[in-house]
Amino acid sequence: MEFTLLAAALLGIALAFATLRIERARGVTDRRDLVDIIIGASVIGLAVGRVGAMTVQGTSPFTHPLDLFFVRGGVDTGFASLGSLGYLIWTARHDFWPTVDLIAPAALAGLAGWHAGCVFRGSCAGTVTTLPWGIRDGAIARHPVELYAALLLLAGAIALVFWRQRLHLGVVASLALTIASGARLVTEPLRLGLGSSPAPWYVAGVVVGVAGVMIRAISARSRNITGS
Amino acid sequence: MAALMSSAARLLIVLSALALLSAGCTHSAATSSDPLPTISPDDFTALIDASDVPIVVNIWASWCGPCRSEAPLLREAVAAYGSRIRFIGVDVNDTQVGAASFIAQYELDVEQYFDPRSSISTALRSTGVPHTFFFAPGGELRFAQHGIIDERTLAVQIDDLLR
Repeated sequence: MEFTLLAAALLGIALAFATLRIERARGVTDRRDLVDIIIGASVIGLAVGRVGAMTVQGTSPFTHPLDLFFVRGGVDTGFASLGSLGYLIWTARHDFWPTVDLIAPAALAGLAGWHAGCVFRGSCAGTVTTLPWGIRDGAIARHPVELYAALLLLAGAIALVFWRQRLHLGVVASLALTIASGARLVTEPLRLGLGSSPAPWYVAGVVVGVAGVMIRAISARSRNITGS
Repeated sequence: MAALMSSAARLLIVLSALALLSAGCTHSAATSSDPLPTISPDDFTALIDASDVPIVVNIWASWCGPCRSEAPLLREAVAAYGSRIRFIGVDVNDTQVGAASFIAQYELDVEQYFDPRSSISTALRSTGVPHTFFFAPGGELRFAQHGIIDERTLAVQIDDLLR
């Protein structure tokens, strides 16, 4: 059993839950199904990402179904994102933008918790640094790159919680996608990896997020003009 | 009720077809390759001590699910760093047929040894599979990962070895 991964997942869920509680206390929503939607999207994303990684790596999920649980062996970022998005689109098909706007800051906080969970997994370190806060291992210190990503994501979540009232419908979710992808993209050069980089997926996320912000803002403005 | 049964049957047929198709798509046993060589624990430790390049030793078995999950990562590591690091696989408590099938499926084109009685893994104080050891030139053990190794840990430990 991957207890360290479980601890990271629980930290993510706790932060998402705390963010929703704050939003509820601020009177943003009284919906009770939002945590379920976040957990559902995470689990589906993880499962689809794991199946994608297994398939790409040459292990059939049908002949080795239990390998799905060896998450540490790899989760494909692209497949995971598509899985989560598909689940969200299906679950919130009747009121898509209000729902995704409501869960966006909590989802960012949850992602922050997942990244900060590197502390349990012992996998926070990235490239070598001389900065004083580097994670020291013998004579070498390394960037705590996963903690950088966690801080950026958490800052994004806090900003969206406090600014959501000033933003048009759909802009909160689009901004959250931009922040989530951007946080991974800017920290990616500090990570060490072996194979192909997931950076193109993050670029795609930023592009889709920025396009979403612009489209939703323009559409809201044109509605206001037509209304007046 | 009949409609529900009919839908369930259709779903079962589709899933069975997918499973069969998928099983057919996976690489099956490539048993035509030469059997893996054996090596005594003393010779193995001498080999590590005498190396003037870093060594990564992966203890694995074809029946081990976590080994299957990390095998593609090791293949990527070999492709990226194989010219600067010596990668060695030690197949424990296994059969030659299982070993050949596993190596062919994951294209693990590295130095491999067969250890049917776990004598090498015992000498390395390995307590199970998978287990990955990182040795500096001269044989100093820098790091050991028991259980599946993830991409970040593997990359960081390799980076450490090369410094």
